[in-house]
Amino acid sequence: MIVDAVTARWAGALYGLAQKQGALAAVVADVRRIAVEAARPELRRVLLNPRLDVATRRSSLDGALRGAHALTQNFVGLAFDRGREEVLVALGAAFHRRILEEAGEVEGVVETARPMTQTEVDRAAVDFGRVLGQKLLLVNRVVPEIIGGARVIAGNRMLDGSVSGRLDALKRRLLQAPLPG
Amino acid sequence: MELRPAEVTSILEKEIEKYKGETSMQSIGTVLSVGDGVARVYGLDDCVMNELLEFPNGVRGVALNLEEDNVGCVLLGDATKVKEGDTVRSSGRVISVPTGDQLLGRVVNALGDPIDGKGPLGTTAADLRPIESPAPSVVEREPVKEPMQTGIKAIDAMIPIGRGQRELIIGDRQTGKTALCIDTIINQKTTAGGDPKDPEQMICVYVAVGQKQSTIVDVLRRLELAGAMPYTIIVSASANDEASMQYLACYAGVAMAERFRDEGRHVVIFYDDLYKQALAYRQVMLLLRRPPGREAFPGDVFNLHSRLLERAAKISRDAPKINPRYKKGGGSITALPIVETQEGDVAAYIPTNVISITDGQIFLESALFNAGIKPAVNAGISVSRVGGAAQIPAMKKISGGLRLGLASYRALAAFAQFGSDLDKATQQELTRGERLTEVLKQGQYVPMPVEQQILIIYVANAGHLDDVPAKRVTEVEKAYLRAMAEQHPEVAEGIKKTKNVSDSERAAMDKVIAAVKVQLNTKAKG
Repeated sequence: MIVDAVTARWAGALYGLAQKQGALAAVVADVRRIAVEAARPELRRVLLNPRLDVATRRSSLDGALRGAHALTQNFVGLAFDRGREEVLVALGAAFHRRILEEAGEVEGVVETARPMTQTEVDRAAVDFGRVLGQKLLLVNRVVPEIIGGARVIAGNRMLDGSVSGRLDALKRRLLQAPLPG
Repeated sequence: MELRPAEVTSILEKEIEKYKGETSMQSIGTVLSVGDGVARVYGLDDCVMNELLEFPNGVRGVALNLEEDNVGCVLLGDATKVKEGDTVRSSGRVISVPTGDQLLGRVVNALGDPIDGKGPLGTTAADLRPIESPAPSVVEREPVKEPMQTGIKAIDAMIPIGRGQRELIIGDRQTGKTALCIDTIINQKTTAGGDPKDPEQMICVYVAVGQKQSTIVDVLRRLELAGAMPYTIIVSASANDEASMQYLACYAGVAMAERFRDEGRHVVIFYDDLYKQALAYRQVMLLLRRPPGREAFPGDVFNLHSRLLERAAKISRDAPKINPRYKKGGGSITALPIVETQEGDVAAYIPTNVISITDGQIFLESALFNAGIKPAVNAGISVSRVGGAAQIPAMKKISGGLRLGLASYRALAAFAQFGSDLDKATQQELTRGERLTEVLKQGQYVPMPVEQQILIIYVANAGHLDDVPAKRVTEVEKAYLRAMAEQHPEVAEGIKKTKNVSDSERAAMDKVIAAVKVQLNTKAKG
């Protein structure tokens, strides 16, 4: 999910505060519950509906907030008071990304033309992670169009070691090559 | 274009030999939205301003807005091939165009891709130059002091243009702005012979922005007929191209011109026209949601033109010692931007901006054009702020007071229509002005060498034509130039060689014009 700058800032503030107060585990659990709720289209329709009053929209999250940590309750309250309830939609993704960042990890996809075994995926994570300078958490996706080799997409970076990528590069070079004479 | 399999095989052999199967690392992003030739992309963390981006299906784009959580970019191809969620790759290089001799005689688009059906340019990666580059610094420049002959009497005599100057051509539609450009390009062959390898030959770059394709074809055909294409490059971003291409074409053109300038060559570049470029820029910037200012143009529309025109300069001979970018000093880029006005309004936003940036303007007036005075140069408000220093001494001597005299004549002529009695001096001024106007009329596609211009302007400015009926001035001019070529060819040769005019040459001109007048009078009586 795409995390916009505002959500990233709000999530960062909640994460920092929870860490400071030693309530990170509880807040993370709350945020995961909110994320599950926010993924439901019917809830989003209520949460982001400007025709409904704040109390109605806020009450749509009552289930998820039942028994939540005080910091989470405050966070949601403040978001509604400031008219920033849209941050709740991608809060789970933003939090997840922050947790990975703190651990120096990055999630990614390794694309291959045929399915990889878990051992191969793990080895690819180590090899490509070394190139990217991060610990990679890879999942395998089969994309027959890449013909052979592998392509790793992690965050906003792509390491292309696929046959199709190399053929594309060769095609570009051939198109730019000067004619003899 | 004929495709020769042997050539393709040889290229393949070289490429396969050099090929390294390296894993490439690229910064990627995801298209958030796309519409009207503009896309917003999430990701692309390392993207830099003006970086070329690769979209799927061979569509390219340029990053223009680097925001906190997305990148705003303009698409340089078919926007319908790009959709939400597509992966965008950064190319790691800012938008560049091919440059060099291979472009001469070619028609290319704003990205430097050939569009004339004559096959690939044959340039290499080393020939690529970024379209945005800093203008020459103060120490790298020298004052404008060499003439850039247009071959148009009214301009070379009254509003001279020097190499490295920026002279605006401004006027309403259908006043002959493009015609001035074509004549100037053709004249570069008259002046230096037309061999692109000759260092004295001016290179011409014609940038067509937002023009009808038929107009561009017409320009190309005219230049081909005149044999002017071997030293000319046409950069075309026609009316049906994307607004982004129209806005970038001028920068692409000047990047191509800079290559020649840095090699010590002289280049003249025509931007036809900057008003349409500003409109294209406005469209792109509004779509990128930059705040609109006056007339909805973005706040940096002045900088759009000033940074473009600042790249026109005369480079000093010592420039290579200061900056290794210059392989040879002494080169120049002369810029002749065009701005189209609406209803003659030179005080509108874009015209005033460009007037304030340039070193003078040639104002073409509809009323003069419709009255049959072509080129329709309004001598009163046309001016060249630095060109005087770049006139050859002979022209400077014989054309003194010509522009002011003609401007004063136009004012008097309007006044004289009231039919009041006029004193002798005023009548004399009207007579002279009328003859000068006739002499400065010139047909299209027939630029005149400067020495011939001097021959005829001398006799008109000295009053030798005052007793010739205005209707017969053209006839006398032709007969006189013919007689000079036959009887005193050494005069034109002398002016060409010494760039000056001696007393004996003046005497020869006086003698020949008197004889021509007698001869034509006799003929008319007979």
